[in-house]
Amino acid sequence: MTLGTLVLSLADNKQMLGLRYAEWATRAPSLEADIAAAAMGLDDLGHSRVLYGCLQPLGDDPRRQERETDPGSYLALPYFDEPWSAWAQFVAANAVLDTAFSVMIQACVDGNVEVLRTRLRKMISEERYHFLHGRSWLKAGIDQEPLLEAWRQAIEWFGPPEGDVAELHGRGGLSMGPARLTARLQERLETAAPSMEVDWSAWDPMRRSSRRGVIDERTFGMLRGLEEKRFYPAGA
Amino acid sequence: MTHRQFSRVHADVREYEVFARKLRIEPLRLIGSVVAPDDDLAAAYARATYDEERWIEMAIVPTDAMTTLWAPGEEAE
Repeated sequence: MTLGTLVLSLADNKQMLGLRYAEWATRAPSLEADIAAAAMGLDDLGHSRVLYGCLQPLGDDPRRQERETDPGSYLALPYFDEPWSAWAQFVAANAVLDTAFSVMIQACVDGNVEVLRTRLRKMISEERYHFLHGRSWLKAGIDQEPLLEAWRQAIEWFGPPEGDVAELHGRGGLSMGPARLTARLQERLETAAPSMEVDWSAWDPMRRSSRRGVIDERTFGMLRGLEEKRFYPAGA
Repeated sequence: MTHRQFSRVHADVREYEVFARKLRIEPLRLIGSVVAPDDDLAAAYARATYDEERWIEMAIVPTDAMTTLWAPGEEAE
């Protein structure tokens, strides 16, 4: 995996996280949480645009034509494949996955690639409020199932111990490798990751997960602008 | 100051007043309030709710940390 592919993975994940947050803008448990969901959704959609915009300056844009037709070509984690049906899924993603992406962004900002050092810095300060939101709701207590799944997908997303992210760290593009990224995530959330076995032989290096699946059809259609066409005036 | 009681998703929440300013030469002024169970969530809610304008500073204070000297309709002692 190249640094461009990792940045594309970050961008796709941020885009899907933003969309899933936004879906809860009228369904969260309180009006304040509704507004926070909408604001965080906008933040993450904006972050994804910045990240996509880094691909050309990096000289490494892995996006191919199949992204127009194949939902499986998106690199977002399976956690975002379907709309969340429970608030606990929102909180687990907000606390664990959003923070995992922020930890990786910090590793990019502290790395030796100039375009990432300069363009991603502002995201760190904006993400502070996502972190506070997620951590506070997490402290209130949620179902364990989505939380365990979010932890699993975060750790898998950081990659195998001696894998691609470790290699990018070795070259200086990232300031942290997988073990340090996981440790940093635990420090930020003030909790140990649940113990789990990861079968790295089943791990997909593109989606960075051992889970299989694709983005749901309606969301993929919206991403590609296909849903919009349903609302065109007849004959347009 | 009269403190309102809230019964919300969280069992125990507080009201926080939100202050902000746009220019260094301006004082902080009250722009609204949020209700949250802790300082972290109150900060996240304040930022999400009131961040539409270009504030150079924003702060929150628990309403019950404010000491009222007198209220509307009362005489200053």
